[in-house]
Order: sequence, then C-alpha cells, then structure tokens
Amino acid sequence: MLLTPELVPVVTSTGASARVAAHVAPRFRAGDQVLIRNWQPTTHTRLPGYIRGKKGVVEKDYGVFAFPDTHAHGKGEKPQHCYSVRFTARELWGDQASDRDSLRVDVFDDYMDPR
Amino acid sequence: MNGIHDLGGRHGLGPINPEPNEPVFHAPWEGRAFGLFAATFVFAGYTVDEFRHAIENMDPAHYLESSYYEHWMSAFEHLLTTRGIVTREELAAKVAELSKETNRCC
Repeated sequence: MLLTPELVPVVTSTGASARVAAHVAPRFRAGDQVLIRNWQPTTHTRLPGYIRGKKGVVEKDYGVFAFPDTHAHGKGEKPQHCYSVRFTARELWGDQASDRDSLRVDVFDDYMDPR
Repeated sequence: MNGIHDLGGRHGLGPINPEPNEPVFHAPWEGRAFGLFAATFVFAGYTVDEFRHAIENMDPAHYLESSYYEHWMSAFEHLLTTRGIVTREELAAKVAELSKETNRCC
C-alpha cells in the first residue's frame, strides 16, 4: 500500500498504535507486588536493563498491546497487558538515591512475576 | 538486546539540557525523515518494533555521535535495503549526486 495524500491526516492523527483489540486476561492488577525477570534476549526487547531483578508495584493497567519482543521479529503480536510499574529510586539506584523519589516504567506481562 | 541504546542509569554522559522553545524539526530534512516512516512502513511491511530494533543495531559509536533523526535515517536504510526496495548502490549513487549539488551551490 502506498501513502496517498488522502491517507496522511489519518496516519498522522492515529499514529502507529500497537494497541490490540483482543480479550486477554491480565496477570496483574493495580497494587500487585512484582519482581522483574532477568530477561536478556539478544533480540529486541522493551525491558530496560536497569529494572531487571528489581521489585516494583503495579500502579495501572494500560490494556492490551502487541508484544514488542515477538512483533519486532515477525513472530506474531502475542497480545498481552502492559502496566505502569512503580519502583523506588533506592531499589534502582542504591542507598545514595533519595528516599522520596520513584520512577514508573511501562512493563509487559511477560517481563515480570508476582512476589 | 543489551545494546548501546539502553542508557538508563549510566554515569558520565553529562546533563540533559532541554532546548528552550525547541522547534519540531531543526532542519527541513528532519521533517522529511519523519514523513518517511508513514510513507514506507506499510508497503515495506515492517512494524514499529522492527524499526526500533533497526536503530538498536546501529554501530554503537555511530549511535552515540548521531542525532535522533539520523537514527531514523539509519533504520530506513537498513529496512529498505534488506528488503531489496532500495539497493546499497542506489543509495550510494544518490548520496554522491546530492553531495555534488551541495558543493555546487555552496
């Protein structure tokens, strides 16, 4: 398909959203305590290295999206929930970090386990 | 992949200095680079995730020294040449042609 002038307003207003209209059961809900997996693929992932093995708390469920780790390599959408997960600055950066700061990262179902 | 793009938590890279009144594009070519995504991802058949992975696969030194939209251009070159939509030779010929024009006018 070629991009024609008529399509431009559509594409630029909706973008290339990865949201998927599929019913998939969430593995977590707001308030759940989670442990991020030590997931280190040589392929694409949206899991930042600095949260691996760290403990966080689910704050919000965004809904269902295509899973980047498979979607980047022609291995299907593997639709699943993505969440906002909160980490304390001290959990991520150690004792020199402020005890008042925290950070939220978007985390997919497959990146974490309950704790 | 544990690539150079995953910079969170690294020391020694200096402060982030937000640009006051930052324009959407710093030069006209950046706007064209932005438009290339919408113009190519459907017919070339790649996803936004494959596009991001193409950026992660840049040479690490080049990644650190180049701008945001240079990362995009690098991804387009990779995605379009690996699919045979543009050949490396065609790309090199166009770069040579544009370099000549630049030298002539300035």
